[in-house]
Amino acid sequence: MAKPVSVLRLPKGPDPNSRGFDPKSPRFIALCRTSISSSVASEADPELLQREQHARSVLRENFLQCLVSMTNRKVQFHMHEKVKVEATFGASDIDVLNFQVSDLHTPIGVQKEALIRSQDVISVTFDV
Amino acid sequence: MAMRQTPLTCSGHTRPVVDLAFSGITPYGYFLISACKDGKPMLRQGDTGDWIGTFLGHKGAVWGATLNTDATKAATAAADFTAKVWDAVSGDEVLSLAHKHIVKTVSFTQDNNCLLTGGNDKLLRIYDLSNPEAAPQEIAGHTSAIKKALWCNNDKQILSAAEDKTIRLWNRSSMEEVKTLTFDTSVSSMEYVADGEILVITYGKTIAFYNALSLELIKTVEAPAPINSASLHPEKDFFVAGGDDFKLYKFDYSTKEELESYKGHFGPVHCVRFSPDGELYASGSEDGTLRLWQTAVGKTYGLWKCVLPEDLGAENSEQLYTSTPEIKA
Repeated sequence: MAKPVSVLRLPKGPDPNSRGFDPKSPRFIALCRTSISSSVASEADPELLQREQHARSVLRENFLQCLVSMTNRKVQFHMHEKVKVEATFGASDIDVLNFQVSDLHTPIGVQKEALIRSQDVISVTFDV
Repeated sequence: MAMRQTPLTCSGHTRPVVDLAFSGITPYGYFLISACKDGKPMLRQGDTGDWIGTFLGHKGAVWGATLNTDATKAATAAADFTAKVWDAVSGDEVLSLAHKHIVKTVSFTQDNNCLLTGGNDKLLRIYDLSNPEAAPQEIAGHTSAIKKALWCNNDKQILSAAEDKTIRLWNRSSMEEVKTLTFDTSVSSMEYVADGEILVITYGKTIAFYNALSLELIKTVEAPAPINSASLHPEKDFFVAGGDDFKLYKFDYSTKEELESYKGHFGPVHCVRFSPDGELYASGSEDGTLRLWQTAVGKTYGLWKCVLPEDLGAENSEQLYTSTPEIKA
């Protein structure tokens, strides 16, 4: 009677709460680009690279200033599937993955506190 | 003493698994992607079957899935009329390529610059991934839905199999048909082995091996049941096949002898592939599971552990299971 081959454990199944791709895994840390890489042209030319870097800093600073000026203001989120919702902007997380908002007006009522996934957002509008 | 094969069952999909593909060997091991009718293709660690992530975004059954050699990119073909390209490290969708009908097959060139797609609109399309907004090159010719398309001959040529019972070889540069193989019945699967330029085709109960450049027949082997997919071992000493009788068969490539057969799946086997190191093969089934099988039964590899009789009861802190083939994760 042949003995079945022993197994250390069974293969791990999917996590019901997440889509996986653990950001703490060695492969993710080594390979995941957290920013947009420089253009092919600037990789060859150091002066072009410097100008590109300067432009990036300016754009990044403007973006961060936008986030700061939105704080505690009423903003309108334009999202996919023709969704337009209004809320009071709180903050963004460090990787700009989620926006924390208060008094989110939705078709099914007002959410006192909510997190909006930034990848669902097409644009944000507010009055300065 | 002979050892009995213990397949490792990877659960998670909720509908039939219709396609699977391995990556090449990377510094982080090798990886496996599975296409499923539940619309959620999954990435797994190739040698253990451990789930890494699920690519979310398709709105219909995923019919084809592939990884590039270093497993940094994935591509999927779906019934929602799109082919999608994904970052296989972060799981993010990178590109969505709209088609006019169900997309069935996707394949990367070796340099990852181009993606070949094919599906129910009977056209082969070549997308330039560095310029995805540009219209793809289209190759017409098949008279029915395309089931499988792949690059061959160093990406200079394309092989496609369709419901019109033909396999066609095309030149990429001229976009013209070079050769056609016609069969009595629709081909169920096609695998290209670059090293040695061998094409593995299955139809009916037959597994056929062709020279991929000339499309000359090398040999055919008959299986006991209708076969849906077959795969040749990297060293070309074995090939495995699976089909409608739910079993996996292992044959000797030189002698054509059936060496082993395994029960385990609870439904027809739709796809089977050897890992890039040849140490295991993975099968996907109508039963919604993937199973990993050892090429050399009893060898220590991945999650399988060779246990000698004197080791049992020794001061070994590892927990060992002797499991029956029916155990699911």
